[in-house]
Amino acid sequence: MKTKHILLGLCIASLSIPTQAQEIALKGKELFGDITARQIGPALMSGRIIDMEVHPTNAQIIYTGTAGGGVWKSQDGGASYAPIFDDHIQSIGQVAVDPTDPDQTVWVGTGEIWTRNSVSVGDGLYRTKDGGNNWQKIPGFENSERISGIEIDPNDGNTVYVGVLGALWSDSDDRGVYKTIDGGKTWDKVLYINNTTGVADLIMDPSNPNTLYASMWEFRRTAWDFNSGGVNSGLHKSIDGGKTWKKIHNGFPEGKLGRIGVAVSPSEPSIVYAVIESEQEKDKGLYRSEDGGANWKRTNGDFSLTVRPFYFSRIVVDPKNPDVVVKGGLSGSISRDGGNTFKSLGNMHSDIHDIVFDINNSDMMHVGTDGGVYRSWNGGTTMEIVSNLPLSQFYHISVDNAEPYNIYGGLQDNGSWYGPSSSPGGIEARDWTRVGVGDGFRVLPHPTKEILYSEMQGADNVWRYDMKRNYTKNVKPLPAKGSADLRFNWNPPMATSTHQPDRFYMGSQFLHVSEDMGDTWKVISPDLTTNDPKKQEKNSGGLSADNSGAETHTTIFTIAESPINEKVIWVGTDDGNVQITRDGGAKWTNVVANVPGLPANTWVYHIEASVHGEGTAYAVFEGHARGDMKPYVYKTTDYGKSWKSITTDDITMFARNIQEDYENENLLFLGAEDGLYITVDGGLNWSKFTNNFPATAVHFLDLQKQTNDLVAGTHGRGVIIIDDISILRDIKPEILDKNVHFFDTKPGTMVEEGGFGGGSTELEFVGPNPGNALKIKYYLKKRHTFGKMTLAIQDMEGNEITTLAPGKSKGINIVSWNYASKSPKLAAAKTFAFGGFTPVRVQAGTYKAVLKKGKETYETTFEVKNDPKSFITAPERKEQYETSKQLFDIQEDLAYMVYQTNVMVNSAQDAIEANAKAAKVAQPLIDDLNELKNTLVVTTGDNYVGTAPPQLREKLSTLYSDVASNYEAPSAAQKENINLLLERFNTAKADFEKIKSKRLAKFEKYLEKQEMKPITFDTKEAFLDSKE
Amino acid sequence: MKTIKLLLVAVIVSFTTMAQAQTAEEIIANYFENTGGMDAWNSLKALKFEGAVKVQGMELPMTMIQTKEGKQLSVAEFQGMKFYQGVFDGQTMWNTNQMTMAAEKSDAETTANAKLEMNDFGDPFLNYADKGYTVELLGNETIEGTETYKIKLTKEPTMVDGAEVPTVAYYYFDMDNFVPIVIEQDLLTGPGKGMTGQTKLSDYQEAGGIYFPFSIVAGAKGQPGGQEIVIKSVEINPEVSDEMFAFPEGK
Repeated sequence: MKTKHILLGLCIASLSIPTQAQEIALKGKELFGDITARQIGPALMSGRIIDMEVHPTNAQIIYTGTAGGGVWKSQDGGASYAPIFDDHIQSIGQVAVDPTDPDQTVWVGTGEIWTRNSVSVGDGLYRTKDGGNNWQKIPGFENSERISGIEIDPNDGNTVYVGVLGALWSDSDDRGVYKTIDGGKTWDKVLYINNTTGVADLIMDPSNPNTLYASMWEFRRTAWDFNSGGVNSGLHKSIDGGKTWKKIHNGFPEGKLGRIGVAVSPSEPSIVYAVIESEQEKDKGLYRSEDGGANWKRTNGDFSLTVRPFYFSRIVVDPKNPDVVVKGGLSGSISRDGGNTFKSLGNMHSDIHDIVFDINNSDMMHVGTDGGVYRSWNGGTTMEIVSNLPLSQFYHISVDNAEPYNIYGGLQDNGSWYGPSSSPGGIEARDWTRVGVGDGFRVLPHPTKEILYSEMQGADNVWRYDMKRNYTKNVKPLPAKGSADLRFNWNPPMATSTHQPDRFYMGSQFLHVSEDMGDTWKVISPDLTTNDPKKQEKNSGGLSADNSGAETHTTIFTIAESPINEKVIWVGTDDGNVQITRDGGAKWTNVVANVPGLPANTWVYHIEASVHGEGTAYAVFEGHARGDMKPYVYKTTDYGKSWKSITTDDITMFARNIQEDYENENLLFLGAEDGLYITVDGGLNWSKFTNNFPATAVHFLDLQKQTNDLVAGTHGRGVIIIDDISILRDIKPEILDKNVHFFDTKPGTMVEEGGFGGGSTELEFVGPNPGNALKIKYYLKKRHTFGKMTLAIQDMEGNEITTLAPGKSKGINIVSWNYASKSPKLAAAKTFAFGGFTPVRVQAGTYKAVLKKGKETYETTFEVKNDPKSFITAPERKEQYETSKQLFDIQEDLAYMVYQTNVMVNSAQDAIEANAKAAKVAQPLIDDLNELKNTLVVTTGDNYVGTAPPQLREKLSTLYSDVASNYEAPSAAQKENINLLLERFNTAKADFEKIKSKRLAKFEKYLEKQEMKPITFDTKEAFLDSKE
Repeated sequence: MKTIKLLLVAVIVSFTTMAQAQTAEEIIANYFENTGGMDAWNSLKALKFEGAVKVQGMELPMTMIQTKEGKQLSVAEFQGMKFYQGVFDGQTMWNTNQMTMAAEKSDAETTANAKLEMNDFGDPFLNYADKGYTVELLGNETIEGTETYKIKLTKEPTMVDGAEVPTVAYYYFDMDNFVPIVIEQDLLTGPGKGMTGQTKLSDYQEAGGIYFPFSIVAGAKGQPGGQEIVIKSVEINPEVSDEMFAFPEGK
């Protein structure tokens, strides 16, 4: 009965489909179907790590929580890592393994906790109960922004304490220590100070789960200032599972405190360390208690213990030795005398955030830095980078017009680089070239020359780099006589011009332009910012001065020259001005007041001057540096006189960048804090793109004009490319109504390459290439699940070239074809011949893709072209094709001959077995055939070093494989060899016919006389169609 | 009036469908019901699949045989040679070495794990409770553009490099018709360890009263492409002999 009900339901449901079809929105997962992103890294410089955790009993398992690249899990003791958190926000504060279910249950608190200016934000607490395959969001922490501690009762996995650091840029009640005793269903806030003070560290005594230490930290960042410390900071202890807390400051410095890091010695829990930021230089540093925090004594105040507490406050004690203490820091340092003296850890990327010891061997350590994870086997003296963590944090990217095109960009604390979008063997570490040091931001290629511009923080250097000569010149704009000091943003804007290749713009508070690639500069604007002195703080940091330039504010942040009119220039400032000039800089108008619904002084992160109209532009504003996480995206078509918001509720976090399509004005790409969003209807609906695109912060987008590749610079997962987005231009509601719709297939180019590549080892990250295959794209209204569905390539006469595995998803399917027809069927033998794996490549021309689905057939035609860069002539190409076909056919002729031989030999052997007298006629047949066969195919040996000398099949196969996989006509040597083998084949054929007419005839007569089964051969066609 | 009635029926029926599909147990029961019925599934003694593996435009013919006792073999043919993979007689698992073309036994752990799979004949969900397997409905998920029920299947723990690990697979059942369209499983060993293997099932067709997927595409989750096995025929309860599965000693 149940089935019938369901079937009825299905029938009725399908009846109602036509009415629903009208309402198919242009959004959702099925909109993108098979369009899959390509993550190309790079991983060689990796990216910032926040937290590392080990499995309590299995040394093979290690977790890495990253600043902007999610959670990665190693199952091989730290040799390599794989991502396990891609569907969720990628900024991580804390990872915790449940000691009561360590294989399965892992908690993740999001939002990085080393609160530099460029941090990403988190969105709460997650838990997996199956080792990272599925994650559940735990309600109650949606506004936590940053989670700094998760401590789980080793006797009861349902009792968990969560330390929330909370909002960095605003007041928030969502701070403090939270406790659950029912596995996360309900939470009690058990420690709370106020809305400016959060939990910097939360540690449970491993010997007593009721004993907890929580360091509370008063802190606040603005776009132009950072403050660490206040009277509310302090270290608290509970000995009753969080019911009551007591400040434990006996021996602590006087006055205001800043960030405090805590560590309890696992092997002797009464020994507790605290690293303290305080008012006075003389009492900052490491404190040690030998009575569980009741009394403290300062042990060390060296630079490595006091440097930048907001960035480096992690202390870790060796699980086996309470006197071995490691501290994060600029270089990281280790003490082997209970914290009295320290030495630096070995050479690795600077800025060490976390360290874990191997659970069995304290000589082995895993260290998280601003540049990835390092391992040591000798107590931290020698460090080795993990090479498969593509966590690079781009601030900006750009592309050039080379083939393959290059991607340029700057990284947080990892300089500036460029690398190719495709490389033989994949995009490897060695394909990337460094073009700047320090923090890297914008890198722009010169529009026509092999020159690029790169920079470091605050425009301390602006390099013009000659890529051919490997030569740099600092071309930074400087103040001239009578001008004000220049204020450059930490991430200083630069721009080039599509109209004047040598033109180069930079923005301080003024717009600077150079017509000679930065050699001479001219200021073409007044101060375009608010120049608000309140936002020009010179003493950032709070208790510890932190004047890195990262907080320089009231600066220009984005510059866009119209691609249609070089006199139209847009400028956006970090303090909320949108300025436009329509006369090349003589007159400027601030048009931000025309933007509806935008809070005043919201950071103008990006302006995109449109190719679709001189007065058309997009502006992306973002206010996260004052706690406003909403997206603000607007479009103007009248030079900023009016603006229209193009965001919807589909976008859940703030956005930084927009990229328009060059052809379809309604197709837009938005880079947001939690990933990439796409609209195909001008912003009425947005869909998050998730196919191999993690929910990482997208800081910049560019669209490569020749390939239509969308290139995303992410702040935590490197460069992510969506190859050829042109299909999205063609998505219209009427298409979504059809059962099957073929999109236009772009001509495929058979790129002539045959080089070598690939110098990476197993554990190194290698970015995938886009490939040169032709892409057949179609839309299915419903997933194909029942009945047969096939996809074949045919020539225009309907002859089948090959069959492909069709995609069957609802939505867009993409199937690749590498221009290969079928491979030849080779003669049966004792070993492989590799020609059997080589297909004949098709000739340039028009072909069809034929999709059969149930009883219906759908077709589309497309072109296949030769490589336009080829040096091969048409006659040469023809000769290559025809020779390949010739050798293909001969091999199949030979296969058929060997097949017949085997049939005859088997029959003759059967006859002898049935009656020994048959040997008289049967044995000569067998002998002659076997003698011949031994010259045709290999009949002994194996596929490796036991291989037998090659025979005709093997020689033909090798020659065929060489000719067919090449693009040129056969060489003279190959031609001579072909003649030789042809001659041999013809002789063999003659011998074969002779045996048939002489020996076989006699044997057949014998069979007839004995009334035995006569010999029958399959036809050649049947043989070729049959099993191998 | 008619339309209103029809809509009403539709609403009620879809409501019942929904209500009936609230639990993993019911989804699985619907799956067996819609693909031939439990009686047909339970009457299976052996299965023989003939088809082809598609490799770079080539089709390698292959045959797979499985029996209710847990014996299995798969053999592909190429250039007159036979490659046996994962042949198991209940005691010994073996494969053809592609260099020597000789049969070689699998390592002890692989063989021990194969023994655990002996009760998975037909479908691992078949009488899963009797086998001590557990199922859990994790929720609804869109995959292959299609709304599905995601069910977690936990089987007997497997040994991986000397340590016992749980054997977990995730099945996505199409909400429209209750057949699984995607299976995901962590790769526990080998170079892909840590990645998630993804198998897509389609082209369900009837053979001997039961619906089987005639297209099986295996790949890695998040990556385009994958290798397709096309099934051309399914034989129910074929004749089998013990020798077919036995390790060929001395050959």
